[in-house]
Amino acid sequence: MRRFWALLYKDILLLIRDLAGLAMMFLMPLALVVLMTYLQDSTFNSITEHKIPLLLLDEDRDSLGISIGQSVEASHIFSVDTMLKEEPLTALSLEREVAKGHYQIGIFIPRNTTEKIRLGIRKSVLGTFGSDTDTVPIRMDSISIFVDPTTKNSFKATIISSIREYAARLQADFVLREVSVEVNRIVPVPIGKIEMPKELVGIKERYARLDEGRLMPNSVQHNVSAWSMFAVFFIVISLSGNIIKERDDGSFTRLMTMPCPYWLYLQAKMVAYLMVCLSQLFLMFLMGVYVLPLLGLPALEMGHSVAALVLMSFSASLAAIGYGIAIGKMATSNQQAAVFGSISVVIMAAVGGVWIPVFVMPEIMQTISRVSPLNWGVSGFYDIFVRDGDWHSVLPECAALLSFAVLCVTTAIVYDRRR
Amino acid sequence: MGHIIEIKDLHKTYKGNVNPSVDGLSLCVEEGDVFGLLGPNGAGKTTTIGILCGLRTPDRGDASICGYSVKEAMKKIKPLIGVVPQDFALYPMLTAVENLRIFGGIYNIPRKQLMPKIDSLLDTFGLSSSRNRAIEKYSGGMKRRVNLIAGLLHNPRILFLDEPTVGIDVQSRHVILENLKRINKEGTTMVYTSHLLEEAEHFCSSIALVDDGRIVCEGTPKALVAEAGTKSLEELFLLKTGKKLRD
Repeated sequence: MRRFWALLYKDILLLIRDLAGLAMMFLMPLALVVLMTYLQDSTFNSITEHKIPLLLLDEDRDSLGISIGQSVEASHIFSVDTMLKEEPLTALSLEREVAKGHYQIGIFIPRNTTEKIRLGIRKSVLGTFGSDTDTVPIRMDSISIFVDPTTKNSFKATIISSIREYAARLQADFVLREVSVEVNRIVPVPIGKIEMPKELVGIKERYARLDEGRLMPNSVQHNVSAWSMFAVFFIVISLSGNIIKERDDGSFTRLMTMPCPYWLYLQAKMVAYLMVCLSQLFLMFLMGVYVLPLLGLPALEMGHSVAALVLMSFSASLAAIGYGIAIGKMATSNQQAAVFGSISVVIMAAVGGVWIPVFVMPEIMQTISRVSPLNWGVSGFYDIFVRDGDWHSVLPECAALLSFAVLCVTTAIVYDRRR
Repeated sequence: MGHIIEIKDLHKTYKGNVNPSVDGLSLCVEEGDVFGLLGPNGAGKTTTIGILCGLRTPDRGDASICGYSVKEAMKKIKPLIGVVPQDFALYPMLTAVENLRIFGGIYNIPRKQLMPKIDSLLDTFGLSSSRNRAIEKYSGGMKRRVNLIAGLLHNPRILFLDEPTVGIDVQSRHVILENLKRINKEGTTMVYTSHLLEEAEHFCSSIALVDDGRIVCEGTPKALVAEAGTKSLEELFLLKTGKKLRD
């Protein structure tokens, strides 16, 4: 154990004495997370809070029209207008506005729609009880939905199903009301008004999705996840430099002539840099929770699973450390390691969705991003921050990151032994 | 006294090289000797010492240190040897004390014993006043002395010295050599390589001249010089290894 402590003491001292390296590892990502979150906040808002313009003409002004109006307002998906600035809103002008592309959806509810439903139901119920003698059917007007051709099918489906739901509910309400009136007329003991039971089938609320399988983080959730991964992977420059310096100045050779097992040497280095990575992550999370809100940005919600956060932090750190060890062992000079290390991390960050989130990338890039360890890390932190996932939910990302770490360290050892 | 180091028919050829670096080298070092392994560049000295220190594995043959085979029992050998490499092999950003604490810890020396030992060695080699200064601010001679102390911390039975006095001033060299002689008298066997043949002639109790991975001649410096009829070890060296440049 004394040997391990001596090696760990050495690596910690080397880290502490390298002030420029420390600044690069801690200050740069902290500055980047603040700057990028601030810069990207409005962009994220436009992506996540963009509302679909909808024009509503309610000539019914009765139960159905009011219900539909309230439901589209309450959906938070649509920005609802009920009048036009230049001209009065009519069925014709509504259609024209949608055709011009000023609105993506237009809904026209004709006059007396509710009343006609009510009369239709009444006629149907009376017919069932044999009291209706009028055989002339009631002419129902349709609710018209005008749709811009660019409107996503999912929005169209949402609107149509909402309207159908409210119409069906209203019809059921009227049926029950008319039935209770007729029953009271027939039976000697009057019954009370029959009402529609409210939501017998419970619906569990889920996170809003704009598209299949896609969750939208806000700027803080994205940037803290992304720049934390970038920070953690940026230690490869310090770590590989440290390994190369030891090799170049002969101290690694000296260690290998001492009773210092190779695995112990690597283990101490890994523990020292693990402390660095975990400190980086801790500071980045603190920044997200306490500092970013001071700048008017949303506070980072850390989720509820400490186990998931710890698991992800360790896995991400070990992946970065493994990569740093591989570069340190395989590069022939400090310059080569610094250039290759920084460029490769920047490329992995770009591909992995650090600067531009993967969900706004073209499909081909979304596929390519899956090969980047930084993407696995960002995705894991999304699971925690955005989806409030537990430790089970981050297992795939952790497994990928740990496998990457093992692959890198094994490659480094094999390469070193062969050399 | 018995043989503390025995090398038998050692062979080593590096990947991509046609010529072997060590080609059937055999020799013995007596306990308490200051044994000089001398030869021109590329003669096989560093490879031989590398094999004895566990940095390289031989292709064929074997060597034993204190009775342990370098092929099979390097773990038992390492605590018994001290290595003073030609490179400073120190952490430049750390102080002398910090460097020595690290190396002492790796030799598993308890802190209570280690700190007095460090103090004593720093004092012996004239480094007490600069003990807390970073190595990068040391002169070449001071670095050499710390380099030597790092190999002596655990009182090794055998000390490998690779050019321990190269590139330093006369005063530093004197302190190093005088202390090495004292440490040798206390029982530490030394294996020494150097291109400073005059120093080797006076410092070593026996030498082996190596060229092309093989022993050219072996014995005490005086006997070898007398046998060859040369005036000095340097003359003997040129006689045996030729005047052709090696690098």
